[in-house]
Amino acid sequence: MIRKGSLSLLMILLLLMPFTTVVQGQDEGPFTIGLSISTLNNPFFVTLRDGAQAAADAAGVELVVLDSQDDPATEAANMEDLIAQGVDAILVNPTDSDAIVPSIEAANAAGIPVFTVDRGASGGEVVSHIASDNVAGGRLAGQFLCNALGGEGRVVELEGIAGTSAARDRGEGFNAYLSENCPGIEVVARQTANFNRAEGLTVFENILQAQPEIDGVFAHNDEMILGAIEAAEAAGREGIIFVGFDAIDDALAAVRDGRLAATVAQQPDRIGALGVLTAVSALGGQEVEATIPVDLQLITSENVPAE
Amino acid sequence: MTAVATTTRPARTGRVRIGNLLRRSAVFLFLILLMAYFASSSDRFFTTGNLINVAQQNASVIIVTVGMTLTLLTGGIDLSVGSVAALAGAISAGLIVRNGLPFELSAPLTLALGFGLGLVNGGLVVFGKLPPFIATLAMMGVARGLTLLYTEGRPISGLGDTYTFWGRGVVPVPLLGDVPAPVLVALAVVLVFAALLSATRFGLHIYAIGGGEETSRLAGVNVNRVKLLVYGLSGMLAALAGILLTARLFSAQPQVAVGLELQAIAAAVLGGVSLFGGVGNVWSAVVGGFLMGVLGNGMNLLRIASYQQQMIQGVVLVFAVTVDMYLKRLEGR
Amino acid sequence: MEQRPLLHMKSIHKSFPGVQALRDVDLIVYPGEIQALVGENGAGKSTLMKVLNGVYTPDSGQIFWQGEPVTIHSPHVAQAHGISMIHQELALIPYLDAAKNIYLGREPAGALPGMINWSKMYQDAEQQLAQLGLNISVRTPVRFFSIAQQQMIEVAKALSMNARLIVMDEPTSSLTDREVETLFEQMRALKARGVAIIFISHRLDEIFEICDRVTVLRDGELVGSHPISELEANDVIRMMVGRDVEQIYERPEKTISSEVVLEVRGLSRGAHIRDVSFALRKGEILGIAGLVGAGRTELAETIFGAHPASSGEILIDGQPVVIRRPSQAIRNGIGFVPEDRKREGLFLRMSVSANIVMVVLRRLLRGLPFIPWGKVGEVSRDFIDRLDIRTPSPEQRVRNLSGGNQQKVVIAKWLTLQPKVLILDEPTRGIDVGAKAEIYQLMHQLAANGVGILMISSDLLEVLGVSDRILVMRDGRIVGEFDPATATQDAIIARATGNDPAEMVSVRAGATS
Repeated sequence: MIRKGSLSLLMILLLLMPFTTVVQGQDEGPFTIGLSISTLNNPFFVTLRDGAQAAADAAGVELVVLDSQDDPATEAANMEDLIAQGVDAILVNPTDSDAIVPSIEAANAAGIPVFTVDRGASGGEVVSHIASDNVAGGRLAGQFLCNALGGEGRVVELEGIAGTSAARDRGEGFNAYLSENCPGIEVVARQTANFNRAEGLTVFENILQAQPEIDGVFAHNDEMILGAIEAAEAAGREGIIFVGFDAIDDALAAVRDGRLAATVAQQPDRIGALGVLTAVSALGGQEVEATIPVDLQLITSENVPAE
Repeated sequence: MTAVATTTRPARTGRVRIGNLLRRSAVFLFLILLMAYFASSSDRFFTTGNLINVAQQNASVIIVTVGMTLTLLTGGIDLSVGSVAALAGAISAGLIVRNGLPFELSAPLTLALGFGLGLVNGGLVVFGKLPPFIATLAMMGVARGLTLLYTEGRPISGLGDTYTFWGRGVVPVPLLGDVPAPVLVALAVVLVFAALLSATRFGLHIYAIGGGEETSRLAGVNVNRVKLLVYGLSGMLAALAGILLTARLFSAQPQVAVGLELQAIAAAVLGGVSLFGGVGNVWSAVVGGFLMGVLGNGMNLLRIASYQQQMIQGVVLVFAVTVDMYLKRLEGR
Repeated sequence: MEQRPLLHMKSIHKSFPGVQALRDVDLIVYPGEIQALVGENGAGKSTLMKVLNGVYTPDSGQIFWQGEPVTIHSPHVAQAHGISMIHQELALIPYLDAAKNIYLGREPAGALPGMINWSKMYQDAEQQLAQLGLNISVRTPVRFFSIAQQQMIEVAKALSMNARLIVMDEPTSSLTDREVETLFEQMRALKARGVAIIFISHRLDEIFEICDRVTVLRDGELVGSHPISELEANDVIRMMVGRDVEQIYERPEKTISSEVVLEVRGLSRGAHIRDVSFALRKGEILGIAGLVGAGRTELAETIFGAHPASSGEILIDGQPVVIRRPSQAIRNGIGFVPEDRKREGLFLRMSVSANIVMVVLRRLLRGLPFIPWGKVGEVSRDFIDRLDIRTPSPEQRVRNLSGGNQQKVVIAKWLTLQPKVLILDEPTRGIDVGAKAEIYQLMHQLAANGVGILMISSDLLEVLGVSDRILVMRDGRIVGEFDPATATQDAIIARATGNDPAEMVSVRAGATS
């Protein structure tokens, strides 16, 4: 009976084998770089990862990607695992700027250089921060909406996950621009749709019920704005100017179709690629900038790239 | 009315002991095999540093799993532990940062709050006659909402060294060397609750209620009080886990511990705790928690891509529970 | 045995909305007496016992315990007086060991507050079990013990509370014959120690074996209480149902047609059924007797397609048919009333009408997606009337019905399809005498309408009293055929157990007819 039991237990290990064969080539390249990423459940970060991977492949370094699944505790565990593995450098895309600090300090103590990508850290020793400036992006969106509405109108803001820095920064930039430069615009509703398209749809449906007159919408990411557009189209509400953020593929298509007026383009693949290249340069002994900004760009029907 | 009916029921105490033993140690055996496999595949795995990592990473999960084991044993469940942990983290941090309380005061107050929220769960179950799944699902939403309200969606940092010591500090222990503080806390919790369950009247009554609530009531067990207390303790342990998580992250995070309840349930079930109550113990639940932790850590070290990791975790859970059920059948034969 | 009564329940009245459950009932129990409490379902036995146990408060009446008037308002009070109940569904916690079960809620205190003195608890438990002559480990979870052993653990629990009176509610219903003997030995030992027992059972043979006195309730009233020596089985039945045994098994005049509706040739399934052949004619009730495990239920399941045969042929109306799934059997006009009606025959939480139309629903739908509720109501009301199913409404949940009425619902379900063959497995198990008679009448009625009935039963009186012909099975084979007019119980038992010298002659007599 015991034998049978252990036999079954062994089977699970066999089951794991095929997944683990990819692993055997560790320590091949000159450097191993760890990338701790906040989530791989979002196209933006998947693109960032892809950019980093492409750059790593081109540079001949090995990239170890760990997914924090938007949970700071998982992230802390992942960081510890990267340190335990003895990677040469860590690129971290924190789930939260504060929560990452102890992990960065631990990496510092282990002598592993840390680079932050997309989202910064509020402490610890970071060699370089590679990111687009979300506050500036928010301002860009505010400016576009203000101009498009001629400085006057009723707008809605769909916020990202409460407590994330992206939601904070984009909202901050957007609202700061409006209050400083565009007093004629009134934000009539401000609700969170958690960066999620389905929630964007339902939240905006509710707002449409409550607000008879809406001239513009800004969402902290494209997923939510796409949901809002569906809601508006379903309700037959026209003439609303939608502005998103992130320039994901679906959003670009919507810009081409004229359903979406503009989206603020971050360039996640470039963020990822620059992250890897910066780390490689630093490991190679070169000086690198403490902050490496990645261009933000407003994409409208005029400059949207063809398919 | 002559009934022509005979059956023979074979005596079956002979195989029971072996079956029991195997059943109890199945998770443990599995854990050892898994560790052996990881050790042979990655030279980084079996280092003191990494093993301490694993223990530290799982301290909060294990503490919550202990509480979950209690509620599962009574035939209930507590889905609110993740949210209660987050709320406890936020409030303990807020009391220090906003109200200037010392950690020595903020921590017990927070534990009391966790106990109180647990009592509310228990009250809904015992007096409101709500299914535990629903009562604690509601609390899961309420506590998470309160967390966001209290923190305004922002992390609270600036906790001070006394607090963060419980996340990253180490305590020198004779023979073992430096042991992380949260690991010691988790160990203490496990020891206390294992003793509580196996040696006290309260513990026996928890098992009894899970095995037959009405029977227990008729036998004079104060079912309501036991259940209230169980949910209270689960809430308190969740709060404790929340404090440790906050200390580990140097800040109270509004979105921390999402899904912690599912991790705890998975760990407990892996450890052979029955979802229908009455069966299981703290030790194997802890081993179950550790198993999930080792699996995550080992897969990270083996650089298995994150999407596959989630799949493997699912497969392992199903597999381990299937093996467990198989052994249970052997035992029952 | 003229001494002071241990218990005297005097002039107990208890009514529920719309029902007078107990009317002026007296019950007197003496120390060291085993008293049978019998009556049909709904006669008031369990209400009376719940009054005794403090679950119900009587509307009027008085309980005297050892001569003193007492008020029992909860099971705890009953226990404190020394009255213990052992329910049919055992009240043990399966995962806890015997000692924990016995002392649950009354654990000996340990050195520290909240702790338990385990060694004392286990020693005491061992002693209690030893007194009952029960040689089992007090540290093994009770679910590993047989039902009989678990019952004795309950008895030990009762004795540990110093019980002077133990109520046993149908304790033998799930015991084997040998286990029943062991239980009776223990009951006699308890009796010798002066413990009184109230024994609730449907089985008259057991009552006559073990009891000193029989108390009969009918429709909430006391019919009588007599020493067992003054009664015969027939007297008890008459007191319970108000008529004789002969009336229960009364059968109408009938002629069975020569048309064979179901024929089975060389049917086999593994070790369960071996080379079984027989023919069932229209309007015939064919009884199948045998020991538990002889393959009778397996035969029924195979004919019904629940477990397909490995070889052999099934013919309906002379035509060979393929039956490998229940749906094929149903299409061929076979209905099956299973032994465990609660688990296999009914949807307990659904209404009477839903249960009745369950198999005919496809026809009522006629390919439409919506359930024709009007039609459903019509059909179910029709069958409720025809079978005299006693339910407050067609929407009543089936689990609230009595066993006999539940069984009628199962039968009604099949009748909606106008089956050619109806297989009934233990059709009257757990059903009281009055309802039994109704089920038999219903079977005769169906037979008169040309339905072929296959009846599996362990109750030999039933087999002899209802069947037109009897087949006996043993080890998966048919080992004999009897004519109920001439057969005796002993002959059937001898054949079923393989101790029949005449067997060699008639072994395949029933194979083809």
